[in-house]
Amino acid sequence: MKMLNILVIDDEDVICEACELVLSEKGHTVTLRKNGRAGLDAIREGMYDILLLDMKLPDIDGMDILKAIQKENPKLCTIVMTGYSSISNAVEAMRKGANNYLAKPFTDDELLKAIEESYASH
Amino acid sequence: MSSSTSFEGYFNVIRNIIGAMHSLTGLQDVLDVVVTQSTRGLKAKGALLRILNKETNRFEVRAAAGLGQRYLNKGPVTTEKILSTLSEPGNVYIITDIWNAPRIEYPQQTWDEGIRMILDMPLAIDEHVTGLMRIYLTEQRELSDDELDFLKTIAMQCACVIERVHLIESQRAHFTTLATHMEKLSSLGRMAAGIAHEINNPLGGILLFSSNMVKKVPEGDPLEKGLKIIIRETQRCKAIIQGLLEFARHGKPQKAPANINDIVETALGIVENQFYLRHVTVKKELAQDMVKTLLDKNQIEQVVINLLLNALHAVEDHGRVTVSSSADLLHNKITVEIGDNGCGIPAENVKKIFEPFYTTGASGTGLGLSVSYGIIKNHEGDIDVFSEVAKGTRFTIQFPVLAENPTERMAHNENA
Repeated sequence: MKMLNILVIDDEDVICEACELVLSEKGHTVTLRKNGRAGLDAIREGMYDILLLDMKLPDIDGMDILKAIQKENPKLCTIVMTGYSSISNAVEAMRKGANNYLAKPFTDDELLKAIEESYASH
Repeated sequence: MSSSTSFEGYFNVIRNIIGAMHSLTGLQDVLDVVVTQSTRGLKAKGALLRILNKETNRFEVRAAAGLGQRYLNKGPVTTEKILSTLSEPGNVYIITDIWNAPRIEYPQQTWDEGIRMILDMPLAIDEHVTGLMRIYLTEQRELSDDELDFLKTIAMQCACVIERVHLIESQRAHFTTLATHMEKLSSLGRMAAGIAHEINNPLGGILLFSSNMVKKVPEGDPLEKGLKIIIRETQRCKAIIQGLLEFARHGKPQKAPANINDIVETALGIVENQFYLRHVTVKKELAQDMVKTLLDKNQIEQVVINLLLNALHAVEDHGRVTVSSSADLLHNKITVEIGDNGCGIPAENVKKIFEPFYTTGASGTGLGLSVSYGIIKNHEGDIDVFSEVAKGTRFTIQFPVLAENPTERMAHNENA
């Protein structure tokens, strides 16, 4: 698989570190941001193939970030992550422009599979 | 006194007692009327009424008339004492030998009260003694057939009213338990939604690191086993939280008119294979005259599947599970029963089975029955369990027959 430039926005250190480990081992470049504001700045400044976005951030609601991405960078392939998983959450996120959905907790394989599938179909 | 006058006297007393039984709500009021009126009817000194307290298994004094405090202060009488000498309910036992009768516990006090003859009447329903009425007379005399009939009538009526009140009280207790239980469940649901997010994040870290690490250890490495356990147990936590979230999300059911037989058939179709693999037979007896009622098909299907799988887990290979349904149009209710001939549930655990996280299986989350319970309550229904260890368990779920509008309901009833 092609080496990707991946941005992770999550306020949970452990999730950021784990994603960084799993993805960088596969050769991907990983950038971490710990809140919505810094995340949106990174999206505006950098060029990313994949965004891994936590839906519950301390400053900005995940849905609002999705809306902003739809406006500013609609081509960005986004995978949302949430700890409060339900079908209606997923449907709503997809409607707002997310490409895929990961319910926490997930394994490394689930993460890699989600990235591969989303990137391939994007 | 002519016979017609005494007949009138008894008739009046019985009329008073029956009147009290039907008009007064409290058992105590009725019992008070029974003892005073019986005393009056027999021109006795007094009367005492004991009722069996099922918890202590003692006959306790519940009403008295015409007796001195000194006599009443004597303690309760043991069940054995009362029952050992009672052979047949429905009879009146006449005691004239105050000093030597085994049924008299305190002959001295009895004599001092001026009592010379005692009549004992067991209050019984279906051979089951629930109380005892004792009437005290100050002189020994022959009892006429009318008097005996009178006593038997009172004993019978009294037993009926005691039984009825017990029934109402146990129903009331049942509903209070249900209400508290619902309250607990709903607060658990709110809490679950709140903490799920907080717990899933740390679990996310554990699962990502452990699943990544397990690939790095060589096969057979001592660390491999531990890592696999961490992965499995983290996924188990995920399932528990998922269950809690689903439980919390059960909002208002999306009800539409549905035939519960169809729902049962669908549920059976889904679990059929699992039954087949375990060689467990399902005996199905669905009511031909089943009527439609307002149900959330998906939720009820979930309940039925859950009960069927519980039954499957309770029985051994080659066990038997029965599924039946019935419609009671007189009381506007439909019932589904799922029974098994499996291991049964010990009485002390039956109370706990609807509690969240109560489980007997290592694999279960302990949420299945509490989720089912919540669903049924949201349908204004009821779920009950009858179980006997080593014999089996039977779950009964009941729903009211409801229609979307009153005219449709009438049409239902006419068709039926």
